[in-house]
Amino acid sequence: MSDVPAKPVPVPDEQSAAFWAAAANHVLALARCAHCGTYVHPPGVVCPGCLSTDGQFAFVPVSGRGTVRSWTVLRDSFLPGFRDDVPFVLVDVELDEQAELRLIGRLVDGPEAPLRIGDRVTTVFDSLAPGVAVPAFALEVQS
Amino acid sequence: MSGAFTARSQVAIVGYAQSPIVRHASAPLGAIAIDTVLRAIADAGLTKDQIDGFTTGSLLPTSGAHASVDGVSIVTASWLAEQLGIDARFAAGFQGFGQIPGSVMLAVNALATGAADSVVVHRALHNPPRGRYHVNPMTEAHGAMQWTAPQGFFGPLAMIALPYNEYLQRYGASRDAMAAVLVEARANGARIPWSYWRDKPITEADYLAARVIADPIGVLDCDIPVDGVAAFVLTRADRAQDLPNRPVYVAGYAQGMQHRPRLPMHWPLDDIMDAGFEIARRLEASSGLALRAVDVPQLYDGFSPFVYFWLEALGYCPVGEAHRFVQDGGIRTDGGLPILSGGGALGNGRMHGVPQMLECYLQLAQRAGDRQLASATVGLACHSSPHYGGAVVYTAEPL
Repeated sequence: MSDVPAKPVPVPDEQSAAFWAAAANHVLALARCAHCGTYVHPPGVVCPGCLSTDGQFAFVPVSGRGTVRSWTVLRDSFLPGFRDDVPFVLVDVELDEQAELRLIGRLVDGPEAPLRIGDRVTTVFDSLAPGVAVPAFALEVQS
Repeated sequence: MSGAFTARSQVAIVGYAQSPIVRHASAPLGAIAIDTVLRAIADAGLTKDQIDGFTTGSLLPTSGAHASVDGVSIVTASWLAEQLGIDARFAAGFQGFGQIPGSVMLAVNALATGAADSVVVHRALHNPPRGRYHVNPMTEAHGAMQWTAPQGFFGPLAMIALPYNEYLQRYGASRDAMAAVLVEARANGARIPWSYWRDKPITEADYLAARVIADPIGVLDCDIPVDGVAAFVLTRADRAQDLPNRPVYVAGYAQGMQHRPRLPMHWPLDDIMDAGFEIARRLEASSGLALRAVDVPQLYDGFSPFVYFWLEALGYCPVGEAHRFVQDGGIRTDGGLPILSGGGALGNGRMHGVPQMLECYLQLAQRAGDRQLASATVGLACHSSPHYGGAVVYTAEPL
């Protein structure tokens, strides 16, 4: 075993607890405004769609499918816990559910996988610790 | 329609000082700041008791795990006033990223309204001990960081790599084209006495051989962290006439805004460019000048891709063409648009928007010595990414 320190684990709070509880079960559930139906990620205290402030967000499972808007290959990390993982790919993904609903995650296919803007991906999960899973992405197999 | 900018040509820069830019200074940052500010006040032909305002942005721009200590790793406006023993009428800090235009805006507003008569705008930047600038040993991600750090998305290199790659992919550009930007920035920085990169130009081959850290961002695409302080003295235009240096007037300014909630450090290319186009419109409205009339345009380059983004946002080349424009000699100080004539951040070190503002001042005040440009009548000093930054238009004559 190396002496690489632990990766940062997400610390759930009032706005995020439902997201991480779903992620632990490998379900991508995003905050959706009960008033106007806008998905809001990251979840906050105000709905950017209708400016409602009463915190009425439901965490709704989404398809997890989307398109690649950009990517980078990290060959070093400022987080010491990732030093054994480099090089790894991060993708900037726009989910199908809503324009500009964007997530950033690791691409599990790795740095050698050919990648283009517009490529289709689906959500998978990286287990980080017991009961903690983080969304990542995998290229969809072309039919 | 918005109203006219009533502070146009009401405020002028009348003096400056710049400390040496070094990797790690032997003196504490606050000590360098005091010395530099006193030199700037003297350069302006004023005395300490004539200064009644201070503005700055004090952000320590790292993601590393260290506390900010006023006078040691940051220097706020109020700390400076207190240490100088000045009971200032106006002291304010700008909280956003576009700190140089932001601090100038605060100073201009204070001077034009009579809230202050002479304002010191300073910027003090600190480089923490080796290995601690961005490295963060966090094992728990709280708050906004929980959405990105557990995925390994952390720090400004990955931040800028995403929109830069989006640019390269969208326009079929090669990262090799950026060599022209680095060669130009470092050639100009090599001629600047206080620059960290004094007498250290690089070649295209040096750029291409440098280590890539977050594709397509390599180590030379980033300005180098430094210790350094710059200070400017601004006063009302009517008072500026009696002072020893030729005044350089503030014609207008503009800020860009990120107006859509995003993940932390998630900077999509379109967010950057939409704000940039709006800054261009706001600058022309504020100054009453066409950006085409600017002969000393100083574009921000803390990360090299900002040069492409600002070039295109400000209309200095067509959208998607900046990578060709720089390769075709478009930004050569001799014969092209001198956007990096002051060396920028890539050619001086991480002084944020200071090199851009300082070059506008030196050129328009005819104080650039053997670097003096043949034509220096209108300057433009940009800072930060357009969607978190801003820019100031300067003129050699009042409008």
